[in-house]
Parts: sequence; C-alpha cells; structure tokens
Amino acid sequence: MAEITDITNEFIRQEIEEYIERPEERERTIKTFSKSRPEMQAIAAALIDGDNDTVSQLTRQALDAGIEALEVMDYGLIAGMGIVGIKFRQNFIFVPEVLACARAMKAGMAYIEPILSAAGIDPIGTVIMGTVKGDLHDIGKNLCIMMLRGAGFVVHDLGVDTSPDKFIEAVEETKAPLLGMSALLTTTMPNMGKTIDAFIDADLRDEVKIMVGGAPVTQEFADDMGADGYGKDALACVALAKSLLGVEVKS
Amino acid sequence: MDTQTRPVGTMNSRQRVLAALRREPVDRTPVCNPTSVATVELMDLVDAPFPDANRVPELMARLAATGHTELGFDSIMPVFSIIQESSALGCKIQWEQKDNWPTVKMREPIFQDVQDIRIPPDLLTHQDTRCVLEAIKILRKEFGNEVAIIGKTMGPWSLGYHCFGVEPFLLLSLDNPGKTKACLEKLKAVTVEFGLAQIEAGVDALTLPDHATGDLVSGEYYARYLRDLHIEFAQRLPVPLILHIRGKTEDRMEYIAQTGMSAFHYDSKNDPQESMRIMRNRTSLVGNINNPETLFSKGPEEVRKEVYQNLNAGVQLIGPECAIPLQTALENLKEIPNAVRDWHKERAAKN
Repeated sequence: MAEITDITNEFIRQEIEEYIERPEERERTIKTFSKSRPEMQAIAAALIDGDNDTVSQLTRQALDAGIEALEVMDYGLIAGMGIVGIKFRQNFIFVPEVLACARAMKAGMAYIEPILSAAGIDPIGTVIMGTVKGDLHDIGKNLCIMMLRGAGFVVHDLGVDTSPDKFIEAVEETKAPLLGMSALLTTTMPNMGKTIDAFIDADLRDEVKIMVGGAPVTQEFADDMGADGYGKDALACVALAKSLLGVEVKS
Repeated sequence: MDTQTRPVGTMNSRQRVLAALRREPVDRTPVCNPTSVATVELMDLVDAPFPDANRVPELMARLAATGHTELGFDSIMPVFSIIQESSALGCKIQWEQKDNWPTVKMREPIFQDVQDIRIPPDLLTHQDTRCVLEAIKILRKEFGNEVAIIGKTMGPWSLGYHCFGVEPFLLLSLDNPGKTKACLEKLKAVTVEFGLAQIEAGVDALTLPDHATGDLVSGEYYARYLRDLHIEFAQRLPVPLILHIRGKTEDRMEYIAQTGMSAFHYDSKNDPQESMRIMRNRTSLVGNINNPETLFSKGPEEVRKEVYQNLNAGVQLIGPECAIPLQTALENLKEIPNAVRDWHKERAAKN
C-alpha cells in the first residue's frame, strides 16, 4: 500500500495531510501521487496554487523532456485538480481560488490538447453543458465545466439562455452521450423539464443521459422532471458524470 | 426570546417593522419582505405585469402594494429585481416576460478596469432608477405612515458582478486586492447616491443586497473587502439598513454584526437558533422561509413550520429568504402572516 512518504513533493504531502479527510479519497490521492514523477507533482502543486505561469512553463518543459502528454494530463493537471475539487467541496477554498486553479489547468491544457487530438486519443467522456432558457447565470455551470475538464472530460459549453432546440442540436451534432443543464432561478427551473420533454418529442431521450443542477434544484425536482441524475455541486457533477457514463474512478 | 412586550394591535405595520429593526419591543413580530414578493398571480390581479412593472412607476407601485393589501405583510417593497441601478450604469438587461425576472447580461461586462468606472450624470434620472423613486413617492402618498416602505440600493460587490462579470470580478479579487478595493470604493458612490435619493423619496428603510455569498467567497473575504464599506453605509444612509446576502453566511455573521446594519436578511441555509446566537442582539434577523423547497413546492403546513422555527428562535422579522419564485401560490404567502398571528395567540394563551 502506498504511503504519503512515497510522495516526494512536500507541498503535495502537506495538502493531503491538511485537506483530504475522507479515508478513501486520501488513499486514492496518495496512490496517484506516489507513483507520479516529481515533475508531475510539481505541475500539480503549481496548479493547486493557482499559478498559471508556472503550470504553463512546467508543462512545456515536461513535454519537451519527452514525457507523454497523457501522463502530464493525468498525473499533473487532473491529479492537481482532484485536490482542488476536494478543498472546494469542503469549503477550504472558494470560487475565486477555484477560478485561478482552472485558469492554471487551462494554461497546461493549451499544450496537451493539440497533442492528444492529433494522436486521436479519446477523452474519458464528452458532455454538453448549458444554462437553461431565460437564465443568464453561469457561475455554477462554469464551475462544473472546470471540474469536468479537470477530470478529463471534453465539454461543449452552450453558454446561457439555452433553448431546448439548441440543446438538441448540440447533442445531434456532437453525439455526446451526456447533457448537463443548470438553472439559478426558480422561474427558469421548469425549463429543465421542458428541455427533457423536447428530447422525448424529438425521439432522442434514449440517446443521451441528462443531469441537472443549480442552487434551487433538488433531487426531488430532478426526479419529478425525469432527469437521470442531480448533482448538488461541481464535484458531485463530476462523480455523477462518471457514474452515468460508466467511467471508473481513476486511481 | 421574548419580543412581544406591547399588547397586540397597539402598533401599525410601519411602527412594528421599524421597532423590530431597532430591536425595540413590538406588539407582534412583523412580517417583512426586504426583497420581492411579486408573483404572476398578483401581477394579473392588479394588471401590473413584468417586465413593465419594473420600469413604469405606477405599475411598480401597484404591484408592490399587493404585498400589504393582498398578502398582509407589514412592509412594501417596490424594487422586485436587482437590476435598476446597473441598468442606469449602462449594463445590458434582458427584460424577459411576465414569468421571469429581468437579469443583467453579465457576459457582456461594461467595465474591465478600475479606470473604466464612470458614474453617469443621469444615474438618478435614468428611467430605471427614476421609476423606483417615483414608485416610492406614490406608495408613501397612498399608505401614509401606516405601512413600512422599504427601498433597495445595491452594494458595490454586487455591482462589481454586474459591471465586470462574476468570474472576472472574482478573479480580480484574488489577483489584485488593491485594484478590487479601488473598484469597490468607486462603485460605493452608486449605493450611497441611490440610497439617499430613495430616502428623500420617502422610504423607511433600505435593503442593501451585496452578494458576498458563502456559495462564492469566504467569510474572510467579507471581512477584507466589505465590512468597512458596510460600516460606512450604515453611517451615511440615515435609515435602518437591511443587509441581504444569500446562501450560507454563518461564517460571516459575526463581521456583519459589527457593521451597524440594523438587520440581516438571511437564507434558509442558516439555522435560526445559531444565527440568533451569533448576532447576540446587535443586528436583527429577517427571514428565512425557504423559497424553492417550501414556498414554491410545498403547502401552508410546511410554511407554518418554518415560521414557527424562526419565531421560536426569536428572529425579529419574519419573511421569505429572498425574492420569491414568481409562480408561488398565494395561500403559501398568506400563511406567513397567519402563522405569525397564531404563534402570538398561542403564546399569549400559554401566559
């Protein structure tokens, strides 16, 4: 069994000691980092620190040194974002810090994505995300997108005020097996149900799993309108996406 | 906590609300709406639909009055949304229809940096701020000193979201605290000017929404960026101020209690007993009946239960946690004042 002392990076060790309380998450994180190279741990540490310049620089260096893009993504960027997500869920950090970490992730992915794309490497899943019709709020949706991307999903962001037709069009075009809808307002929450109905009418409901979330949304409401799942926060959204697509949790 | 020290029926609505905001004795706990209680049903009842009721003074006043005349609340709040001064600042607004609130198009920010911030000369004469001022005058004339009329002036943190966009503003707050404070300093002029204009128009109190919510930022953030500004507002705006912040806020209530705000409009994510314990009678609490799960989705019995929880905790003013869903059933809203009256009757019978 991996021990925390197997991790060479002191910052990562401290982060695990201080912030990861759940035994299974702790074990999984230690296992991931204990088998990662020091260079990957340094990338993860910079990402957790929200330092986009350092992440950019270290990612480029790692790739130049011949480390595979997939390894940099999994053991540097995604592993780092895993700790960020847990800290956010536990209220150790808040949205500004997560935004900075996501910016750092993006800086690293700018080098990784073209390589993976050229090599034809599939993401762990593709998700369509959007805020429903009549609702212009997107911070919750964007946090979910950051965490989904941080977990290795490819996300097509439809933005705000998204009509049922736009959701349908996006699913038809991308063949994405998963759709996420968000609403902040009680007045726009019913538009999630209307969008699900539109998928039924278009005979596409069986083609796509639908997850919903947003401040006023509850599990009960999600069940009533026929969604496949409800995520109460960004980290729950990632777990739900993995579960709906049958993706195993990476160790 | 024993708040009823005067015989029931000896105060009018306005006296009751103002006394509770000062934590003075009341004949019964007031029912208060520091944010909107407009519903589609009420719009139909008085023929004052959204979006026009947000832009035409007569319609705004007519719809606002229903909070008292139809629902039996002790206060009237004519500002149903949070966009009036942002519209005057130049933000683009999606006005929507009767069944939805108008919203600032925050994806199209009007400012990128502190030097971009300009307070337009027509801040108080712009259609959407003038509408509020005119509506207040109409309501004051109609209701005299019988009902508390509450205005609303947005705090600089919320204006920052509207004018810079939520994500850019939050990132700025992390990357450059000095610049963020400079932005807040400039934007606070809007809060003060619009607040003073509403006081001149006749409001009894002002709600001051400043959405430094626990869903987005830490309690420490509130202390760093907003506590001093809120102290300043409490000193410069000479009516009781009701701070409104959504979400879980127990981690910042101690700071809020230090500001001199008369009241804090708090969310159902916070426990009434614990919130009262933190406030220690330094700031009144208003709230915290849950909107989406209770008022919108459940029945009068569940509403009553939450009203009683708040009254048992000693919460000084009872009301929904935030602007209520526009499709909320009127029977649920009317249950709030009914439950408050019954609670007082039951308590009087016990004594």
